[in-house]
Amino acid sequence: MSERVKIIERMEIPDGLKIIFGLPDVGLVGAIAASHLISKLKLKEVAYVKSDLLPPVIMLEKGLPRSPIRMFGNEDLIVLNSEIAIPSAAVYSIIESVVDWIWKKKAELVFTLGGLPIPNRHEIEKPKVFGAASDESLLKMLNKKEIQVIQRGFLVGPQALVLSFCAERNIPAVALLAEAFYNYPDPEASSVVIQVLNRMIDMDIDVSELIEKGEEVRLAMRDMMRRTQAELARMKKSHEYDIPGYYIK
Amino acid sequence: MRRRRSIFDIMREHMEELEEIAEEMFDRFMERPSWDITTHSLEPLCDVFVSSDRVIVTADLPKVDPKSIRVNGISDDLIEITAKMRVKVNFEDLGVTHRRGEFSCFSCRVPLPVPVDTSRARARFRRGILEITLPRKRGYEIKVE
Repeated sequence: MSERVKIIERMEIPDGLKIIFGLPDVGLVGAIAASHLISKLKLKEVAYVKSDLLPPVIMLEKGLPRSPIRMFGNEDLIVLNSEIAIPSAAVYSIIESVVDWIWKKKAELVFTLGGLPIPNRHEIEKPKVFGAASDESLLKMLNKKEIQVIQRGFLVGPQALVLSFCAERNIPAVALLAEAFYNYPDPEASSVVIQVLNRMIDMDIDVSELIEKGEEVRLAMRDMMRRTQAELARMKKSHEYDIPGYYIK
Repeated sequence: MRRRRSIFDIMREHMEELEEIAEEMFDRFMERPSWDITTHSLEPLCDVFVSSDRVIVTADLPKVDPKSIRVNGISDDLIEITAKMRVKVNFEDLGVTHRRGEFSCFSCRVPLPVPVDTSRARARFRRGILEITLPRKRGYEIKVE
């Protein structure tokens, strides 16, 4: 775990919660979904990430300084959200430290929400959600919920690290990835990811507002998308378009 | 004795230099606002895709009136996109209370990496995304023996 990343708890956080990652990535699918969950479930800030690997940026909220990477929660779950594009050079250490913290907190189940970039996204009415998981039993759970598992392919960025670090530590984790625009905010993709999450953990988060106010969301998220796009390029996110090498069966 | 640099070393050095220049240009582009108070305009998110025979430019244009979208060819490697918004948006609508100003349109100039024939360009607007297809300028054919 990196010495340069600290998770500061603002209040006592019980063990055994569900953790949902919603970090900036393609189409800001995870970030938009996380903001929607925080707002709909009226989650309170419970912890934040402090690191000298991040740029010297704070979020001002009602005049008070806040970390741009924060955790919001209730007695059942915690949502990790970032207001800034996480610098590619910091992603590894930050995710490693957060997963270490999650391990100490004995999380019941981890979800990482994100997008799967597709070039013809604007021709697709309803994006499809694909899944991947940290172990076989969770893959069975995905199959049972009729979520198509990504059998083979590359995953790049925060959710790739969440999945691999959780697998190393035997923390049950699932990635839910909706077909999305690469570099345009995609609230529709966020809405379908939340609908799948609803099915997986028996929640009933209404997503109609995300669709109705889609244009407002796209307008408000432009700058975050611009900066996220720059970091995605540095992470070589386009690897996800690559066809993996062929194995003779 | 000084070792002679191989062609691969020279190519790698050139690639690194080019990457550094590209990175610097990108960073410089990022370090300016995506809005312009004097023209009341927002800069849309844009993307450029180059294939063997065409260049496809897309732009995300939320809240625009489709009839107001204009695409102008400035030169064979530069186009301009403008579009009026259906409603004016101010900073407060976007949750920012310490800045003043409102926006009524989108505007940007998109440099194209290869020359195109703007007279044969086609554009369509679907689901808030403008897609402009521009045929690439034809070169000459090399006969394969």
